[in-house]
Amino acid sequence: MHLIHELLISGLIVLGAIFALVGSYGMLKFPNLMTRLHAPTKATTLGVGGALVASMVYFLTLEGHVSIHEVLISLFLFLTAPITAHFIAKAYMHKHLKPKQLPKTQSGWSTYSASPAEQSHKHSQSSTSHQ
Amino acid sequence: MSLALIVMLPFIGALFPALLLRAGRNACATATFTFSLAAFILLIFQAPAVLQGETLHASWQWLPKLGLAVSFMLDGLGLLFAGLILGIGLLVIFYARFYLSKQDNMGSFYTYLLLFQGAMLGIVLSDNILLILVFWELTSLSSFLLIGYWKHLPAGRQGARMALTVTGAGGLSLIAGLMLLGHIVGSYDLSVMLQHRELIQSSPLYLPALLLILGGCFTKSAQFPFHFWLPHAMAAPTPVSAYLHSATMVKAGIFLLARLWPVLSGTPEWFYLVATTGLITMLVAAWIALFKDDLKGLLAFSTVSHLGLITLLLGLGSPMAAVAAVFHIINHATFKAALFMNAGIVDHETGTRDIKQLGGLWHLMPITATLAMVAAASMAGVPLLNGFLSKEMMLEQVAHTAWLDQPWLMAIIATLAALCSVAYSFRYIVHVFFGPQRHDYPDHPHDPPLGMWLPPAILVCLVILIGLFPQTFAGALVASSAKAVIGGALPEYHLAIWHGVTPALWMSVIALIGGLSLLAGYRKVRSAWEAGPHPDAKAMFQVWIKGLVQLAQVASHGLHNGSLQRYLAWMVGAAVVVGYGAFMNSSLSAGSRELLPAHPTAIAAWLLLILGCLLTVWLHHQRLLALIMVGVIGMVVCVGFVYLSAPDLALTQISVEVVTVILMLLALNVLPKTTPKESGFGRKGRDILLATSAGVGIATLVWAFLTRDFTTLSDYYLAESLPGGGGTNVVNVILVDFRGFDTYGEITVLGIAALLIFALLDGALHGGSAAKRLAQWLPDQARAADRHPLMLVVAARVMLPLALLVGVFIFLRGHNVPGGGFIAGLVVSVALIMQYMASGFGWAAQKIRLDYHAMIGSGVLLAGLTGIGSWLFGYPFLTSSVLHLDLPALGEIHIASAMFFDAGVFSVVVGATMLALSQLSQIGRRAEALPVNQAAMDCDPSHPLQKDPSWKP
Repeated sequence: MHLIHELLISGLIVLGAIFALVGSYGMLKFPNLMTRLHAPTKATTLGVGGALVASMVYFLTLEGHVSIHEVLISLFLFLTAPITAHFIAKAYMHKHLKPKQLPKTQSGWSTYSASPAEQSHKHSQSSTSHQ
Repeated sequence: MSLALIVMLPFIGALFPALLLRAGRNACATATFTFSLAAFILLIFQAPAVLQGETLHASWQWLPKLGLAVSFMLDGLGLLFAGLILGIGLLVIFYARFYLSKQDNMGSFYTYLLLFQGAMLGIVLSDNILLILVFWELTSLSSFLLIGYWKHLPAGRQGARMALTVTGAGGLSLIAGLMLLGHIVGSYDLSVMLQHRELIQSSPLYLPALLLILGGCFTKSAQFPFHFWLPHAMAAPTPVSAYLHSATMVKAGIFLLARLWPVLSGTPEWFYLVATTGLITMLVAAWIALFKDDLKGLLAFSTVSHLGLITLLLGLGSPMAAVAAVFHIINHATFKAALFMNAGIVDHETGTRDIKQLGGLWHLMPITATLAMVAAASMAGVPLLNGFLSKEMMLEQVAHTAWLDQPWLMAIIATLAALCSVAYSFRYIVHVFFGPQRHDYPDHPHDPPLGMWLPPAILVCLVILIGLFPQTFAGALVASSAKAVIGGALPEYHLAIWHGVTPALWMSVIALIGGLSLLAGYRKVRSAWEAGPHPDAKAMFQVWIKGLVQLAQVASHGLHNGSLQRYLAWMVGAAVVVGYGAFMNSSLSAGSRELLPAHPTAIAAWLLLILGCLLTVWLHHQRLLALIMVGVIGMVVCVGFVYLSAPDLALTQISVEVVTVILMLLALNVLPKTTPKESGFGRKGRDILLATSAGVGIATLVWAFLTRDFTTLSDYYLAESLPGGGGTNVVNVILVDFRGFDTYGEITVLGIAALLIFALLDGALHGGSAAKRLAQWLPDQARAADRHPLMLVVAARVMLPLALLVGVFIFLRGHNVPGGGFIAGLVVSVALIMQYMASGFGWAAQKIRLDYHAMIGSGVLLAGLTGIGSWLFGYPFLTSSVLHLDLPALGEIHIASAMFFDAGVFSVVVGATMLALSQLSQIGRRAEALPVNQAAMDCDPSHPLQKDPSWKP
């Protein structure tokens, strides 16, 4: 194992660890939930990502084969982290914000008013019951 | 082989009547008759050898370590009883075809009857006392079904219940008794046991064993004071009474007394217990029978009395008395079955069984009356009929026996009983068939069709033939069966009508004259009897049962009244007490093994675990937070497994954790989010005490354990995993191979639990109070309007193939590296749950179309079949084998049979999880009155949205 490989792997691990540390610090430092959301969803993704890349390099250089587990893990992470953030934000909105406080959008906030598809479904149901 | 076939034929035949019911009542009866006839013919073929003194054996091992073998034996006694069971069985089957009305379900009747017949044959032909016990319980169960055959009648149900309670309790007593006997001898084989008379009678356990066995025999044979169930069992259809309560089931107790006679009889204990019980039963029942107005009630008490007679004879302990007992068994079966069928005819044709409403039927039903007269005269002991012969032999024996040095006491009581017997027998004739013809019969009486009078007529012919020529028609059978009872040489005797002027003859004359004069003055006797007290056995029985039920309720409600806290408190408390007891009685101290340094990571995780536990307790009133804390604990445990190099357990733990938390969140959705504060200071104190002591106990135990060097089974598994189980993943090999039977049981339980969740929640979905409460439920939290957000739906879609791939990957590698069917099942479940969470259950179920019930069932079946498959190759259940294939393109492939087993596990896990999920999600949807969504997501991005006109960028 060459020194350069070792340096690369260590560097990646340290980089990931720094991101993780920053993310944790952000959790403590930011004042409210909406801002705090940024810390774990963004920083820790990069933190884990650093460790994963380090792992890939390690297997490539030391064991001599490409490990794709890490790719799969990062794919799962990239899929799940935004969804989690999205749901936490929505829960926060329902608990602490009223629709009036929110900026206007082109077709309303879907989480506060039923979707057009569902509205039309309800409408057709009520119209059939009237007949 | 043919012995086993005789016993099995009725059981095999029991499948047919119910199936053939559609083909008509005749087909149904013919099938039943054919199977019984086949067994009867087989028995006849064995008869010559047995009558010449041979004993036939047939034996197979069943559970050799328990001493249980399927072994049959046919000797004289077995031949006699099997002949009665099958011979009278055939007549009863024929008779019942004409007796049962069109409304009665003939298929189930004949099925029960054949089951009963098989069970009875099992008792009388078994050569292993444990096998006898199995069949003994089967007769109790099948007779319960038969007595309660007319389910719509409360008397039938109560009678059946009473019979089951009494004979079932007796059966328990018998089990204990025969176990003691087996313990004394050291073998459960009847043939062996019968050789050890001295050993048994000198054992200190002789008396307890005798008492327990007698408890079983006396309840079955309706001996005083357990006689009360038999009259109540008369609520059964008459063919059942004719079969069970005259010839077969009630004689099972007598049979066992006769069977064990060689080893148990001859002691003073035997004499005073058995003979006295028989004597009292004979007199008391005969006296009561005299005043019964119900024809079948009269016959029931008379049966009890005659069973008492046989018990008395067996109790006397002399070989001659045993001969008489055997002879009376034959005679009683013939005339009593005929009389029961006769009573059935009278009931059938006149519409009543009440003697007070009958009389004068002689001219209306001449055939019936003739049959009744001959049979009843035999029961009374009139000369030239078979009842006379055996009753004479009984009186002869009793006249020569002293009871507590009183030479006359037994003779007097026996004569009195015979006197009552004469009186009730003639009452049956005189009060039913003689006297003036009446005009108020409920129906129009006339003789029945041939099918109903032929069976009793055949029996009556036997009554006369045996009565006239006893040696010709019964001599050989009596001799061979008496020989089997006595177990040695027969005494000098000859079956004949005239024995000269003996004391017995005088006793008979007294009984006959006394009985007739008692009947002549019946009115006076009756009024005197009615003035006296009449203890009601049924009321007393019910008081007893009520008391027992109350006792059971107090005990069970004290232990668990539906409160989980109480249940847990008892469990944990008991464990603490037992553990404390063990701790105090042993010199348990910390071991001497050197301690390992703790890694900071381990300490951090440990602290996190403690924190999680404390927070769960602290926050338990807020259920959501508590649930999250439980999740945290689960994750720390999972990390612990990883740290301690148990990747399999970690994988299992994490997937179980995810599924559990999701399912609990779904359940919590429609439950209150806070726990009310309802436990007082005392309750909290109790719980803290229990929890702390249990925790300290476990910690101490673990400490003591881990500070010692010890060897476990692990080394064996590690060494044997690859050569024995064909896999390098020891955990998986243990699950599917070494302990495959455990796993099989566990997946069965898992499937049952899922079905139970389904059943419980199904009630809430379809009517009932739970459904009403569900309809009135209001959401207690804000709801997002977007039920199926686009982002989640898209992400879940992308994840599905990946997650399924992971599932398959984990499944396939399971046998050699961490993974396996259980984990794969959970991973796939999680992947599917993701779809349901994203797009709603209704929508997703339409797309996936899996029948979860079928998955559970086929999974258990697949695992079971894999196990059975190893039988085909001559290996024990669930032995795994590895198939090595050399395929052209793929190279060498190993296919372990365990993989099919694992596939079964996988299927059950997915089915069970998804079934629970589907029910919970339906509950949720019902609670919120939401429709099933038509589209996969709220907003379809391929269609433009309606624009809000007031929107300004």
